[in-house]
Order: sequence, then C-alpha cells, then structure tokens
Amino acid sequence: MNDDQVRARVYDVTMRSGKPPLVAEMVAHFGVSAAEVAESLQRLATGRVLVVREEVVMAAPFSAVATPFVVDSGGVSYFANCIWDALGIPAILQRDAEIRTSCGDCGTGMTVHVENGVAHGDGVIHFAIPARQWWNDIVFT
Amino acid sequence: MLYFRSEEHVDRWCSAWRLDRGAVMTLDQGWRLATAWFTEDRRAPEWRRRTVDEIEQLFGGIGLTSPFWSLR
Repeated sequence: MNDDQVRARVYDVTMRSGKPPLVAEMVAHFGVSAAEVAESLQRLATGRVLVVREEVVMAAPFSAVATPFVVDSGGVSYFANCIWDALGIPAILQRDAEIRTSCGDCGTGMTVHVENGVAHGDGVIHFAIPARQWWNDIVFT
Repeated sequence: MLYFRSEEHVDRWCSAWRLDRGAVMTLDQGWRLATAWFTEDRRAPEWRRRTVDEIEQLFGGIGLTSPFWSLR
C-alpha cells in the first residue's frame, strides 16, 4: 500500500458512496495496520491532498461531515465544503447534479442545477479569503 | 466560499462579520473555475497537486488575475 493507492481508495469510495472510507475500512481493504493507514493519511494531509483529523475530514471537493452544501447526483447525496466545492462535485463526477444550499447572509434556501455541463442558478459567489491565505485555516476557508 | 442571493447580501454579510469584501463572481464563472479545477481524476496514480505556476495559469485562463488570486 502506498500513498497514491490510499488517495485513490479515498476518492473511489467517496465518489461512489458519498462518504470517505474510515481508517478501519482501509485497514480491511489493504490488509495493513491502522498505524500504516494513519501514517499514510498524515503524509497526504501534510501534502495538502486531504484534510485529516484522525479520520478523513475533507477530500476536496467532498466533506466527510454534514455541511450546508448538499449535492445530489446519480442517486447519491454528497456534502461539499463550500459553494466552489459544491460545483466541483458534478465537475469531478461528470454528472448532472442538484446543489441545495442557502444564502450565506439571510439563510434563504437556494438551489443550483447542473445539467448537461451548464450551471443554472440565481446567486453570486463570494470568496472572503485571498488565495494565498486559503491554507492558513483550510477548514475556515 | 459562500453563495448569496445578490451582491447586496454579500455586503451585508461582510459588514456583519466585519470582513473586507473579497472577490465576487457569477455562478457561471464559479462553474468554470470548478470544472477547470476538478477536471483531473484524483483516483489516478499520476494525479498530483498543481504547482503555483499551474494554479495561476488556471486562474488567469478564466479571468481571475487581480491580486486577490495571487499565490505569491
């Protein structure tokens, strides 16, 4: 098992099921120890490929935890880390999708539809943090 | 990166959080950014994170050239 295989497994499971695999699931899949999986995940986190807090928390554009960005595609529900990532999910899956979120200001429900490679919706996107600072606190970003 | 009903709502949110207004883009621009960013298959063994040069080239390709998008 190497780090590329772990990354591939994380993305494969997430894209199919909507959730990243747990460490225990990767231990069973690869037939290695939990320590080996944890060390690999830490290297991938250090390389800013994944965000890891014992388990995988983010595998961009996917979030392992519930967020206000829900993406339904191909009969699977996904959570995204932000609106950019929410749009990234149909992009990476190469499938149509419905994104359900809400206005960051007033909380009004908003929907974006991605159909045949075009995004349809009425809102605007705001990036609060300049690009060079994104990884200072990637969870906040 | 949040989604808002309008630029007026962006300004209200920035004011409430005492944050400077960052960068606002249309949904279409955001979609082009997402499709450019996530075009590669992250399951592939050869996948690697982009370099700073590659990211700036990607941003530039969709018109994101202001200092806000600089990585240096």
